[in-house]
Amino acid sequence: MTDTVFGFDGVCFSYPGFGTCLEEVSLRVGRGERIALLGANGSGKSTVLRLMDGLQFASRGEVRALGEALSPATVERPPFGPRFRKEVGFLFQDSDAQLFSPTVEEELAFGPLQMGWGREEITERISGALDLMSISALRRRSPQSLSAGEKKKVALASLLVLSPSVLLLDEPTAGLDPRSQGSLLELLDELHGAGLTTVTATHDLELVPHLADRAIVLGEDHRVAADRPVRDVLADTDLLVRVNLIHAHRHRHGALVHSHPHRHTVMHEHPHRHDDG
Amino acid sequence: MARLPDWLAAEAVPPPTTALRGRGGVRFARKGLAAVFGAAVALLDPREGGLRRGWLCEIDARAKIVGLLGLLACALFSRSLAALVACLFWVLLVWALGGVGWQRLGAALLGVPLFAVALCTPAALNLVTPGRPVLVLCHLGAGSWGPWSWPETLALTDQGLLVAVRLLLRIAACASIGALMTASTRPGDLFRGLRGLGVPSGFVLVLDMTVRYLAVLLQSAEEIHLAKLSRSIAHVPTRRDRAWVAAGIGEVYRKSRKLAGEVGDAMVSRGFSGEVKSLSAGCWGWPETAFVCASAVGATSSLVLGWGG
Repeated sequence: MTDTVFGFDGVCFSYPGFGTCLEEVSLRVGRGERIALLGANGSGKSTVLRLMDGLQFASRGEVRALGEALSPATVERPPFGPRFRKEVGFLFQDSDAQLFSPTVEEELAFGPLQMGWGREEITERISGALDLMSISALRRRSPQSLSAGEKKKVALASLLVLSPSVLLLDEPTAGLDPRSQGSLLELLDELHGAGLTTVTATHDLELVPHLADRAIVLGEDHRVAADRPVRDVLADTDLLVRVNLIHAHRHRHGALVHSHPHRHTVMHEHPHRHDDG
Repeated sequence: MARLPDWLAAEAVPPPTTALRGRGGVRFARKGLAAVFGAAVALLDPREGGLRRGWLCEIDARAKIVGLLGLLACALFSRSLAALVACLFWVLLVWALGGVGWQRLGAALLGVPLFAVALCTPAALNLVTPGRPVLVLCHLGAGSWGPWSWPETLALTDQGLLVAVRLLLRIAACASIGALMTASTRPGDLFRGLRGLGVPSGFVLVLDMTVRYLAVLLQSAEEIHLAKLSRSIAHVPTRRDRAWVAAGIGEVYRKSRKLAGEVGDAMVSRGFSGEVKSLSAGCWGWPETAFVCASAVGATSSLVLGWGG
Protein backbone atom coordinates (compact mmCIF):
# COMPACT_ATOMS: atom_id res chain seq x y z
CA MET A 1 0.00 0.00 0.00
CA THR A 2 1.29 3.51 -0.87
CA ASP A 3 1.82 5.97 1.97
CA THR A 4 -0.42 9.02 1.97
CA VAL A 5 0.98 12.31 0.70
CA PHE A 6 -2.21 14.35 1.09
CA GLY A 7 -5.30 13.56 3.13
CA PHE A 8 -8.46 15.72 3.31
CA ASP A 9 -11.01 14.88 5.99
CA GLY A 10 -14.34 16.72 5.81
CA VAL A 11 -12.65 19.88 4.54
CA CYS A 12 -14.77 23.01 4.11
CA PHE A 13 -13.42 26.27 2.81
CA SER A 14 -14.84 29.64 1.86
CA TYR A 15 -13.28 32.93 0.80
CA PRO A 16 -14.64 35.78 2.93
CA GLY A 17 -17.54 37.36 1.08
CA PHE A 18 -17.58 34.80 -1.75
CA GLY A 19 -19.58 31.95 -0.24
CA THR A 20 -18.63 28.28 -0.04
CA CYS A 21 -15.74 27.07 -2.11
CA LEU A 22 -15.38 23.50 -0.80
CA GLU A 23 -17.97 21.49 1.11
CA GLU A 24 -17.10 18.36 3.13
CA VAL A 25 -14.28 17.28 0.82
CA SER A 26 -12.48 14.07 1.77
CA LEU A 27 -9.78 12.54 -0.39
CA ARG A 28 -6.45 10.73 -0.31
CA VAL A 29 -3.40 11.08 -2.54
CA GLY A 30 -0.81 8.30 -2.25
CA ARG A 31 2.92 8.60 -2.97
CA GLY A 32 3.73 8.16 -6.66
CA GLU A 33 0.12 8.56 -7.79
CA ARG A 34 -1.02 10.64 -10.77
CA ILE A 35 -4.26 12.37 -9.91
CA ALA A 36 -6.46 14.58 -12.04
CA LEU A 37 -8.74 17.07 -10.29
CA LEU A 38 -11.68 17.54 -12.62
CA GLY A 39 -14.48 20.03 -12.36
CA ALA A 40 -16.18 22.91 -14.08
CA ASN A 41 -15.06 26.51 -13.58
CA GLY A 42 -15.59 27.58 -9.98
CA SER A 43 -15.96 24.04 -8.64
CA GLY A 44 -12.96 24.49 -6.32
CA LYS A 45 -10.09 22.69 -8.12
CA SER A 46 -7.57 25.50 -7.63
CA THR A 47 -8.64 25.87 -4.01
CA VAL A 48 -7.90 22.18 -3.38
CA LEU A 49 -4.39 22.73 -4.80
CA ARG A 50 -3.91 25.84 -2.65
CA LEU A 51 -4.96 23.91 0.44
CA MET A 52 -2.53 21.12 -0.49
CA ASP A 53 0.26 23.69 -0.86
CA GLY A 54 -0.46 25.35 2.46
CA LEU A 55 -1.38 28.67 0.88
CA GLN A 56 -4.92 28.51 2.26
CA PHE A 57 -6.16 26.65 5.29
CA ALA A 58 -9.37 24.73 5.84
CA SER A 59 -12.21 26.58 7.58
CA ARG A 60 -13.39 23.21 8.91
CA GLY A 61 -11.97 19.70 8.72
CA GLU A 62 -8.32 18.74 8.39
CA VAL A 63 -5.76 18.77 5.58
CA ARG A 64 -2.71 16.55 6.15
CA ALA A 65 0.40 16.69 4.00
CA LEU A 66 3.53 14.55 4.31
CA GLY A 67 2.20 13.25 7.63
CA GLU A 68 1.48 16.63 9.28
CA ALA A 69 -1.76 18.56 9.70
CA LEU A 70 -1.37 21.80 7.77
CA SER A 71 -1.87 25.07 9.62
CA PRO A 72 -0.25 28.51 9.35
CA ALA A 73 2.06 27.52 12.19
CA THR A 74 3.16 24.12 10.85
CA VAL A 75 4.05 25.34 7.34
CA GLU A 76 6.32 28.02 8.81
CA ARG A 77 7.91 26.02 11.60
CA PRO A 78 11.22 24.22 10.88
CA PRO A 79 12.04 21.51 10.18
CA PHE A 80 8.66 20.66 8.62
CA GLY A 81 8.10 24.06 6.93
CA PRO A 82 11.24 24.15 4.75
CA ARG A 83 10.95 20.40 4.01
CA PHE A 84 7.31 20.85 2.94
CA ARG A 85 8.19 23.79 0.66
CA LYS A 86 11.01 21.80 -0.90
CA GLU A 87 8.97 18.63 -1.40
CA VAL A 88 5.80 20.21 -2.77
CA GLY A 89 6.00 22.32 -5.94
CA PHE A 90 3.03 24.34 -7.19
CA LEU A 91 2.74 25.34 -10.84
CA PHE A 92 0.38 28.30 -10.99
CA GLN A 93 -2.06 28.73 -13.85
CA ASP A 94 -0.84 32.28 -14.46
CA SER A 95 2.87 32.06 -15.18
CA ASP A 96 3.21 35.83 -14.79
CA ALA A 97 2.41 35.44 -11.10
CA GLN A 98 5.05 32.78 -10.69
CA LEU A 99 7.90 34.51 -12.51
CA PHE A 100 8.92 37.49 -10.42
CA SER A 101 12.72 37.52 -10.68
CA PRO A 102 14.77 39.77 -12.99
CA THR A 103 16.28 36.91 -15.02
CA VAL A 104 15.45 33.27 -15.70
CA GLU A 105 18.59 32.23 -13.81
CA GLU A 106 17.55 34.25 -10.74
CA GLU A 107 14.06 32.79 -11.02
CA LEU A 108 15.42 29.27 -10.79
CA ALA A 109 17.75 30.26 -7.97
CA PHE A 110 14.93 31.74 -5.85
CA GLY A 111 13.80 28.50 -4.19
CA PRO A 112 17.28 26.99 -3.60
CA LEU A 113 18.53 30.29 -2.13
CA GLN A 114 15.57 30.31 0.26
CA MET A 115 16.59 26.78 1.27
CA GLY A 116 20.09 28.06 2.05
CA TRP A 117 21.91 25.75 -0.34
CA GLY A 118 25.48 26.44 -1.50
CA ARG A 119 26.01 28.58 -4.60
CA GLU A 120 27.94 25.88 -6.42
CA GLU A 121 25.17 23.35 -5.99
CA ILE A 122 22.55 25.91 -6.99
CA THR A 123 24.41 26.80 -10.19
CA GLU A 124 24.77 23.12 -11.06
CA ARG A 125 21.07 22.47 -10.47
CA ILE A 126 20.05 25.52 -12.50
CA SER A 127 22.10 24.31 -15.47
CA GLY A 128 20.57 20.83 -15.13
CA ALA A 129 17.01 22.13 -14.96
CA LEU A 130 17.53 24.48 -17.91
CA ASP A 131 18.98 21.62 -19.97
CA LEU A 132 16.10 19.34 -19.02
CA MET A 133 13.57 21.89 -20.25
CA SER A 134 15.72 22.83 -23.30
CA ILE A 135 15.73 26.49 -22.30
CA SER A 136 19.42 27.08 -21.62
CA ALA A 137 19.41 29.90 -24.18
CA LEU A 138 16.93 31.83 -21.98
CA ARG A 139 19.21 31.86 -18.94
CA ARG A 140 19.94 35.63 -18.97
CA ARG A 141 16.55 36.69 -20.32
CA SER A 142 13.91 38.53 -18.35
CA PRO A 143 10.96 36.16 -17.68
CA GLN A 144 8.51 38.91 -18.58
CA SER A 145 9.84 39.04 -22.14
CA LEU A 146 9.20 35.34 -22.87
CA SER A 147 6.35 33.66 -24.77
CA ALA A 148 3.58 31.80 -22.89
CA GLY A 149 5.16 28.40 -23.62
CA GLU A 150 8.61 29.57 -22.52
CA LYS A 151 7.16 31.09 -19.35
CA LYS A 152 5.48 27.79 -18.49
CA LYS A 153 8.76 25.93 -19.02
CA VAL A 154 10.65 28.38 -16.82
CA ALA A 155 7.97 28.13 -14.14
CA LEU A 156 8.20 24.33 -14.16
CA ALA A 157 12.02 24.43 -14.16
CA SER A 158 11.90 26.74 -11.12
CA LEU A 159 10.00 23.98 -9.29
CA LEU A 160 12.09 21.05 -10.54
CA VAL A 161 15.31 22.71 -9.43
CA LEU A 162 14.20 22.00 -5.84
CA SER A 163 13.81 18.26 -6.59
CA PRO A 164 10.24 18.10 -5.29
CA SER A 165 8.54 14.77 -4.68
CA VAL A 166 5.08 16.23 -5.36
CA LEU A 167 3.93 18.52 -8.15
CA LEU A 168 0.65 20.42 -7.98
CA LEU A 169 -0.28 21.62 -11.45
CA ASP A 170 -3.04 24.17 -12.01
CA GLU A 171 -4.24 23.95 -15.63
CA PRO A 172 -0.69 23.27 -16.86
CA THR A 173 -1.58 23.13 -20.55
CA ALA A 174 -3.79 26.24 -20.62
CA GLY A 175 -2.62 28.69 -23.27
CA LEU A 176 0.05 26.38 -24.70
CA ASP A 177 0.37 25.53 -28.38
CA PRO A 178 0.16 21.81 -29.36
CA ARG A 179 3.95 21.35 -29.49
CA SER A 180 4.46 22.88 -26.04
CA GLN A 181 1.55 20.79 -24.72
CA GLY A 182 3.16 17.65 -26.15
CA SER A 183 6.57 18.30 -24.64
CA LEU A 184 5.00 19.16 -21.27
CA LEU A 185 3.02 15.90 -21.26
CA GLU A 186 6.16 13.92 -22.14
CA LEU A 187 8.08 15.58 -19.33
CA LEU A 188 5.31 14.93 -16.79
CA ASP A 189 5.24 11.31 -17.88
CA GLU A 190 8.99 11.02 -17.34
CA LEU A 191 8.73 12.67 -13.94
CA HIS A 192 6.02 10.22 -12.96
CA GLY A 193 8.32 7.41 -14.07
CA ALA A 194 10.93 8.83 -11.69
CA GLY A 195 8.46 8.50 -8.80
CA LEU A 196 6.95 11.99 -8.58
CA THR A 197 3.41 12.41 -7.30
CA THR A 198 1.38 14.75 -9.47
CA VAL A 199 -1.99 16.36 -8.84
CA THR A 200 -3.28 18.18 -11.90
CA ALA A 201 -6.31 20.46 -11.93
CA THR A 202 -7.88 20.65 -15.36
CA HIS A 203 -11.13 20.61 -17.27
CA ASP A 204 -9.47 19.48 -20.49
CA LEU A 205 -10.85 15.95 -20.70
CA GLU A 206 -8.81 15.03 -23.78
CA LEU A 207 -5.55 15.41 -21.87
CA VAL A 208 -6.66 13.69 -18.68
CA PRO A 209 -5.66 10.12 -19.77
CA HIS A 210 -2.16 11.44 -20.44
CA LEU A 211 -1.95 13.30 -17.13
CA ALA A 212 -3.46 10.92 -14.60
CA ASP A 213 -4.51 7.41 -13.65
CA ARG A 214 -7.13 8.43 -11.08
CA ALA A 215 -9.61 11.29 -11.29
CA ILE A 216 -11.22 13.17 -8.43
CA VAL A 217 -14.26 14.99 -9.77
CA LEU A 218 -15.61 18.09 -8.03
CA GLY A 219 -19.22 18.97 -8.65
CA GLU A 220 -20.76 22.40 -8.92
CA ASP A 221 -21.98 21.92 -5.34
CA HIS A 222 -18.26 21.98 -4.33
CA ARG A 223 -18.32 18.37 -3.11
CA VAL A 224 -16.45 15.34 -4.41
CA ALA A 225 -18.74 13.84 -7.05
CA ALA A 226 -16.51 10.88 -7.93
CA ASP A 227 -13.11 9.43 -7.10
CA ARG A 228 -12.36 6.65 -9.58
CA PRO A 229 -9.88 5.57 -12.25
CA VAL A 230 -9.72 8.00 -15.15
CA ARG A 231 -11.07 5.43 -17.61
CA ASP A 232 -14.23 4.91 -15.54
CA VAL A 233 -14.81 8.62 -15.04
CA LEU A 234 -14.44 9.43 -18.73
CA ALA A 235 -16.83 6.62 -19.64
CA ASP A 236 -19.52 7.93 -17.27
CA THR A 237 -21.36 10.41 -19.47
CA ASP A 238 -24.11 11.02 -16.90
CA LEU A 239 -21.51 12.06 -14.31
CA LEU A 240 -19.70 14.33 -16.76
CA VAL A 241 -22.96 16.02 -17.75
CA ARG A 242 -24.00 16.38 -14.10
CA VAL A 243 -20.74 18.12 -13.11
CA ASN A 244 -20.83 20.30 -16.24
CA LEU A 245 -17.72 18.87 -17.88
CA ILE A 246 -19.56 17.94 -21.05
CA HIS A 247 -22.84 19.23 -22.37
CA ALA A 248 -25.43 18.61 -25.01
CA HIS A 249 -25.39 21.00 -27.91
CA ARG A 250 -26.44 21.12 -31.48
CA HIS A 251 -23.91 20.39 -34.22
CA ARG A 252 -23.82 19.44 -37.88
CA HIS A 253 -22.60 16.43 -39.78
CA GLY A 254 -23.03 17.52 -43.35
CA ALA A 255 -26.74 18.04 -43.80
CA LEU A 256 -27.55 16.29 -40.53
CA VAL A 257 -28.09 18.50 -37.48
CA HIS A 258 -28.49 16.89 -34.10
CA SER A 259 -27.80 17.38 -30.41
CA HIS A 260 -26.28 15.17 -27.72
CA PRO A 261 -23.67 15.45 -24.97
CA HIS A 262 -20.13 14.77 -26.09
CA ARG A 263 -16.52 15.69 -25.52
CA HIS A 264 -14.80 17.91 -28.04
CA THR A 265 -12.07 16.19 -30.01
CA VAL A 266 -10.74 16.91 -33.43
CA MET A 267 -12.78 13.97 -34.80
CA HIS A 268 -15.41 12.77 -32.36
CA GLU A 269 -17.08 9.44 -33.01
CA HIS A 270 -20.76 8.62 -32.88
CA PRO A 271 -21.46 5.00 -32.06
CA HIS A 272 -25.24 5.64 -32.28
CA ARG A 273 -27.38 6.16 -35.38
CA HIS A 274 -27.82 9.72 -36.54
CA ASP A 275 -31.58 9.65 -36.56
CA ASP A 276 -32.30 12.39 -34.04
CA GLY A 277 -31.62 15.34 -36.33
CA MET B 1 -32.13 25.07 -27.93
CA ALA B 2 -31.07 28.70 -28.39
CA ARG B 3 -32.85 30.56 -31.18
CA LEU B 4 -31.21 33.61 -32.74
CA PRO B 5 -33.27 36.81 -32.46
CA ASP B 6 -34.49 38.23 -35.78
CA TRP B 7 -32.27 41.29 -35.59
CA LEU B 8 -29.19 39.04 -35.32
CA ALA B 9 -30.26 36.61 -38.02
CA ALA B 10 -31.22 39.40 -40.45
CA GLU B 11 -28.97 39.58 -43.50
CA ALA B 12 -29.17 43.33 -44.04
CA VAL B 13 -27.51 45.09 -41.14
CA PRO B 14 -28.04 48.85 -41.20
CA PRO B 15 -24.74 50.77 -41.41
CA PRO B 16 -23.82 53.12 -38.56
CA THR B 17 -25.25 56.56 -39.04
CA THR B 18 -22.37 58.40 -37.37
CA ALA B 19 -18.70 58.09 -38.22
CA LEU B 20 -15.94 57.77 -35.65
CA ARG B 21 -14.38 61.12 -35.01
CA GLY B 22 -11.39 62.14 -32.99
CA ARG B 23 -9.25 59.39 -34.53
CA GLY B 24 -6.15 61.50 -33.87
CA GLY B 25 -6.72 61.28 -30.13
CA VAL B 26 -7.28 57.53 -30.32
CA ARG B 27 -4.08 57.01 -32.30
CA PHE B 28 -2.19 59.21 -29.86
CA ALA B 29 -3.44 57.19 -26.87
CA ARG B 30 -2.62 53.91 -28.59
CA LYS B 31 0.87 55.02 -29.61
CA GLY B 32 1.47 56.48 -26.17
CA LEU B 33 0.53 53.23 -24.42
CA ALA B 34 2.62 51.17 -26.85
CA ALA B 35 5.61 53.47 -26.29
CA VAL B 36 5.31 53.31 -22.51
CA PHE B 37 4.97 49.53 -22.67
CA GLY B 38 8.06 49.27 -24.91
CA ALA B 39 10.05 51.51 -22.57
CA ALA B 40 9.05 49.43 -19.55
CA VAL B 41 10.08 46.19 -21.28
CA ALA B 42 13.40 47.77 -22.33
CA LEU B 43 13.99 48.92 -18.77
CA LEU B 44 13.39 45.43 -17.41
CA ASP B 45 15.21 43.39 -20.02
CA PRO B 46 18.99 43.81 -19.94
CA ARG B 47 19.24 42.61 -23.54
CA GLU B 48 16.95 45.29 -24.90
CA GLY B 49 18.32 48.51 -26.31
CA GLY B 50 21.97 47.63 -25.73
CA LEU B 51 22.10 50.32 -23.07
CA ARG B 52 24.19 48.53 -20.50
CA ARG B 53 27.81 48.11 -21.36
CA GLY B 54 31.12 49.51 -20.12
CA TRP B 55 32.90 49.39 -16.79
CA LEU B 56 30.35 51.53 -14.98
CA CYS B 57 27.77 48.78 -15.47
CA GLU B 58 30.06 46.30 -13.75
CA ILE B 59 30.51 48.36 -10.59
CA ASP B 60 28.61 47.26 -7.50
CA ALA B 61 25.29 49.11 -7.23
CA ARG B 62 26.07 50.21 -3.66
CA ALA B 63 29.09 52.19 -4.88
CA LYS B 64 27.02 53.83 -7.60
CA ILE B 65 24.25 54.73 -5.16
CA VAL B 66 26.68 56.28 -2.66
CA GLY B 67 28.77 58.08 -5.30
CA LEU B 68 25.85 59.43 -7.31
CA LEU B 69 23.93 60.42 -4.15
CA GLY B 70 26.90 62.66 -3.29
CA LEU B 71 26.65 64.40 -6.65
CA LEU B 72 22.85 64.56 -6.30
CA ALA B 73 23.15 66.28 -2.91
CA CYS B 74 25.58 68.74 -4.47
CA ALA B 75 23.13 69.49 -7.30
CA LEU B 76 20.21 69.87 -4.91
CA PHE B 77 21.81 72.14 -2.33
CA SER B 78 24.15 74.33 -4.41
CA ARG B 79 22.91 77.84 -5.15
CA SER B 80 25.87 78.88 -7.24
CA LEU B 81 25.65 78.50 -11.02
CA ALA B 82 29.33 77.53 -11.16
CA ALA B 83 28.74 74.66 -8.74
CA LEU B 84 25.76 73.43 -10.72
CA VAL B 85 27.67 73.61 -14.01
CA ALA B 86 30.59 71.77 -12.41
CA CYS B 87 28.23 69.12 -11.05
CA LEU B 88 26.64 68.61 -14.46
CA PHE B 89 30.13 68.44 -15.98
CA TRP B 90 31.12 65.67 -13.55
CA VAL B 91 28.01 63.64 -14.33
CA LEU B 92 28.63 63.96 -18.07
CA LEU B 93 32.28 63.02 -17.57
CA VAL B 94 31.30 59.86 -15.67
CA TRP B 95 28.80 59.10 -18.41
CA ALA B 96 31.39 59.53 -21.16
CA LEU B 97 34.11 57.54 -19.41
CA GLY B 98 31.74 54.88 -18.07
CA GLY B 99 30.98 53.44 -21.49
CA VAL B 100 27.21 53.70 -20.94
CA GLY B 101 25.02 54.14 -24.04
CA TRP B 102 24.00 57.74 -24.81
CA GLN B 103 20.32 57.11 -25.56
CA ARG B 104 19.08 57.71 -22.01
CA LEU B 105 21.23 60.85 -21.66
CA GLY B 106 19.54 62.31 -24.73
CA ALA B 107 16.16 61.77 -23.12
CA ALA B 108 17.35 63.19 -19.80
CA LEU B 109 19.08 66.27 -21.19
CA LEU B 110 16.57 67.16 -23.89
CA GLY B 111 13.21 65.82 -22.72
CA VAL B 112 13.20 66.72 -19.05
CA PRO B 113 14.79 70.22 -19.25
CA LEU B 114 12.56 71.05 -22.21
CA PHE B 115 9.60 70.37 -19.95
CA ALA B 116 11.32 72.38 -17.22
CA VAL B 117 11.74 75.40 -19.52
CA ALA B 118 7.97 75.67 -19.73
CA LEU B 119 7.80 75.64 -15.95
CA CYS B 120 10.57 78.13 -15.19
CA THR B 121 9.99 80.63 -17.99
CA PRO B 122 7.53 82.69 -15.90
CA ALA B 123 10.20 82.93 -13.20
CA ALA B 124 12.43 84.88 -15.61
CA LEU B 125 9.78 87.59 -16.13
CA ASN B 126 9.52 90.74 -14.05
CA LEU B 127 5.91 89.81 -13.28
CA VAL B 128 7.19 87.06 -11.00
CA THR B 129 10.78 87.99 -10.17
CA PRO B 130 11.50 91.73 -9.88
CA GLY B 131 14.96 92.93 -10.90
CA ARG B 132 16.92 94.86 -13.51
CA PRO B 133 15.32 94.38 -16.93
CA VAL B 134 17.70 92.91 -19.50
CA LEU B 135 15.24 92.39 -22.36
CA VAL B 136 11.94 94.21 -22.76
CA LEU B 137 9.33 92.00 -24.41
CA CYS B 138 6.36 94.39 -24.63
CA HIS B 139 4.74 97.43 -23.05
CA LEU B 140 1.79 96.70 -20.82
CA GLY B 141 1.13 100.06 -19.29
CA ALA B 142 1.32 100.09 -15.50
CA GLY B 143 -1.88 99.32 -13.70
CA SER B 144 -3.56 97.36 -10.97
CA TRP B 145 -6.66 95.30 -10.36
CA GLY B 146 -7.68 94.56 -6.83
CA PRO B 147 -4.65 93.29 -4.93
CA TRP B 148 -2.70 92.70 -8.19
CA SER B 149 -0.53 95.22 -9.99
CA TRP B 150 1.71 94.94 -13.02
CA PRO B 151 4.71 96.92 -14.24
CA GLU B 152 4.99 99.29 -17.19
CA THR B 153 6.75 96.73 -19.36
CA LEU B 154 6.95 92.94 -19.58
CA ALA B 155 10.64 92.09 -19.45
CA LEU B 156 13.17 89.45 -18.60
CA THR B 157 15.10 90.45 -15.48
CA ASP B 158 18.62 89.55 -14.43
CA GLN B 159 17.34 88.09 -11.15
CA GLY B 160 14.63 86.17 -12.97
CA LEU B 161 17.07 84.73 -15.49
CA LEU B 162 19.37 83.70 -12.65
CA VAL B 163 16.52 81.85 -10.93
CA ALA B 164 15.40 80.20 -14.19
CA VAL B 165 18.90 79.11 -15.25
CA ARG B 166 19.65 77.81 -11.76
CA LEU B 167 16.46 75.76 -11.79
CA LEU B 168 17.17 74.49 -15.28
CA LEU B 169 20.74 73.45 -14.42
CA ARG B 170 19.57 71.77 -11.23
CA ILE B 171 16.93 69.80 -13.08
CA ALA B 172 19.38 68.83 -15.86
CA ALA B 173 21.97 67.63 -13.32
CA CYS B 174 19.43 65.65 -11.27
CA ALA B 175 17.81 64.10 -14.34
CA SER B 176 21.22 63.13 -15.73
CA ILE B 177 22.23 61.51 -12.44
CA GLY B 178 18.98 59.52 -12.35
CA ALA B 179 19.36 58.51 -15.98
CA LEU B 180 22.99 57.49 -15.42
CA MET B 181 21.95 55.30 -12.52
CA THR B 182 19.17 53.52 -14.42
CA ALA B 183 21.18 53.24 -17.65
CA SER B 184 24.10 51.55 -15.94
CA THR B 185 22.25 49.39 -13.41
CA ARG B 186 19.62 46.69 -13.78
CA PRO B 187 16.61 47.33 -11.50
CA GLY B 188 17.29 44.10 -9.60
CA ASP B 189 20.90 45.12 -8.89
CA LEU B 190 19.79 48.59 -7.87
CA PHE B 191 17.32 47.21 -5.33
CA ARG B 192 19.89 44.75 -4.01
CA GLY B 193 22.26 47.69 -3.64
CA LEU B 194 19.64 49.63 -1.67
CA ARG B 195 19.10 46.59 0.54
CA GLY B 196 22.86 46.28 1.02
CA LEU B 197 22.94 49.88 2.22
CA GLY B 198 20.38 49.09 4.92
CA VAL B 199 17.11 50.21 3.31
CA PRO B 200 14.35 48.06 4.95
CA SER B 201 13.60 44.86 3.02
CA GLY B 202 9.82 45.46 2.94
CA PHE B 203 10.28 48.81 1.23
CA VAL B 204 12.80 47.44 -1.30
CA LEU B 205 10.62 44.39 -2.03
CA VAL B 206 7.58 46.56 -2.82
CA LEU B 207 9.68 48.77 -5.13
CA ASP B 208 11.19 45.73 -6.80
CA MET B 209 7.83 44.08 -7.49
CA THR B 210 6.31 47.34 -8.68
CA VAL B 211 8.99 47.80 -11.32
CA ARG B 212 8.91 44.14 -12.32
CA TYR B 213 5.17 43.96 -12.89
CA LEU B 214 4.91 47.37 -14.53
CA ALA B 215 5.19 45.80 -17.97
CA VAL B 216 2.50 43.19 -17.22
CA LEU B 217 0.03 45.83 -16.03
CA LEU B 218 0.85 48.18 -18.88
CA GLN B 219 0.11 45.36 -21.27
CA SER B 220 -3.26 44.93 -19.56
CA ALA B 221 -3.93 48.64 -19.96
CA GLU B 222 -3.04 48.44 -23.64
CA GLU B 223 -5.34 45.44 -24.16
CA ILE B 224 -8.22 47.21 -22.40
CA HIS B 225 -7.69 50.20 -24.67
CA LEU B 226 -7.54 48.04 -27.82
CA ALA B 227 -10.67 46.13 -26.76
CA LYS B 228 -12.50 49.41 -26.44
CA LEU B 229 -11.10 50.60 -29.76
CA SER B 230 -12.29 47.47 -31.57
CA ARG B 231 -15.88 48.25 -30.55
CA SER B 232 -15.71 52.00 -31.15
CA ILE B 233 -17.90 52.95 -34.09
CA ALA B 234 -19.24 56.38 -33.36
CA HIS B 235 -17.93 59.31 -31.39
CA VAL B 236 -19.05 59.24 -27.76
CA PRO B 237 -19.47 62.24 -25.45
CA THR B 238 -16.40 63.19 -23.42
CA ARG B 239 -18.20 62.35 -20.21
CA ARG B 240 -18.67 58.74 -21.31
CA ASP B 241 -15.08 58.58 -22.48
CA ARG B 242 -13.97 59.74 -19.03
CA ALA B 243 -16.18 57.12 -17.41
CA TRP B 244 -14.60 54.47 -19.61
CA VAL B 245 -11.06 55.62 -18.67
CA ALA B 246 -11.99 55.49 -14.98
CA ALA B 247 -13.39 51.97 -15.45
CA GLY B 248 -10.18 50.93 -17.24
CA ILE B 249 -8.05 52.28 -14.39
CA GLY B 250 -10.24 50.40 -11.93
CA GLU B 251 -9.85 47.16 -13.88
CA VAL B 252 -6.06 47.51 -14.01
CA TYR B 253 -6.08 48.19 -10.26
CA ARG B 254 -8.20 45.06 -9.67
CA LYS B 255 -5.80 42.99 -11.78
CA SER B 256 -2.80 44.41 -9.96
CA ARG B 257 -4.30 43.44 -6.59
CA LYS B 258 -5.06 39.91 -7.78
CA LEU B 259 -1.60 39.57 -9.28
CA ALA B 260 0.01 40.86 -6.08
CA GLY B 261 -1.79 38.17 -4.07
CA GLU B 262 -0.75 35.42 -6.47
CA VAL B 263 2.87 36.59 -6.60
CA GLY B 264 2.95 36.52 -2.81
CA ASP B 265 1.57 32.97 -2.83
CA ALA B 266 4.06 31.86 -5.50
CA MET B 267 6.91 33.22 -3.37
CA VAL B 268 5.67 31.57 -0.19
CA SER B 269 5.18 28.32 -2.12
CA ARG B 270 8.90 28.26 -2.89
CA GLY B 271 9.98 28.93 0.66
CA PHE B 272 10.01 32.75 0.84
CA SER B 273 10.59 33.86 4.40
CA GLY B 274 10.77 37.64 4.16
CA GLU B 275 14.13 38.23 2.48
CA VAL B 276 14.81 37.90 -1.25
CA LYS B 277 18.27 36.43 -1.73
CA SER B 278 20.29 36.67 -4.91
CA LEU B 279 22.79 34.53 -6.73
CA SER B 280 24.98 37.49 -7.56
CA ALA B 281 26.47 38.50 -4.24
CA GLY B 282 27.75 42.07 -4.46
CA CYS B 283 31.49 42.51 -4.15
CA TRP B 284 33.28 45.68 -3.07
CA GLY B 285 36.76 45.99 -4.56
CA TRP B 286 39.08 48.77 -5.62
CA PRO B 287 36.92 49.91 -8.59
CA GLU B 288 34.05 50.59 -6.19
CA THR B 289 36.27 52.47 -3.75
CA ALA B 290 37.81 54.44 -6.64
CA PHE B 291 34.36 55.34 -7.97
CA VAL B 292 33.12 56.57 -4.60
CA CYS B 293 36.33 58.59 -4.08
CA ALA B 294 36.11 60.13 -7.56
CA SER B 295 32.47 61.05 -6.99
CA ALA B 296 33.36 62.60 -3.62
CA VAL B 297 36.12 64.63 -5.30
CA GLY B 298 33.66 65.73 -8.00
CA ALA B 299 30.99 66.79 -5.49
CA THR B 300 33.48 68.55 -3.21
CA SER B 301 35.20 70.43 -6.03
CA SER B 302 31.80 71.58 -7.32
CA LEU B 303 30.89 72.91 -3.90
CA VAL B 304 34.27 74.61 -3.50
CA LEU B 305 33.86 76.21 -6.93
CA GLY B 306 30.44 77.42 -5.81
CA TRP B 307 31.84 79.03 -2.66
CA GLY B 308 34.61 80.64 -4.64
CA GLY B 309 32.10 82.07 -7.12
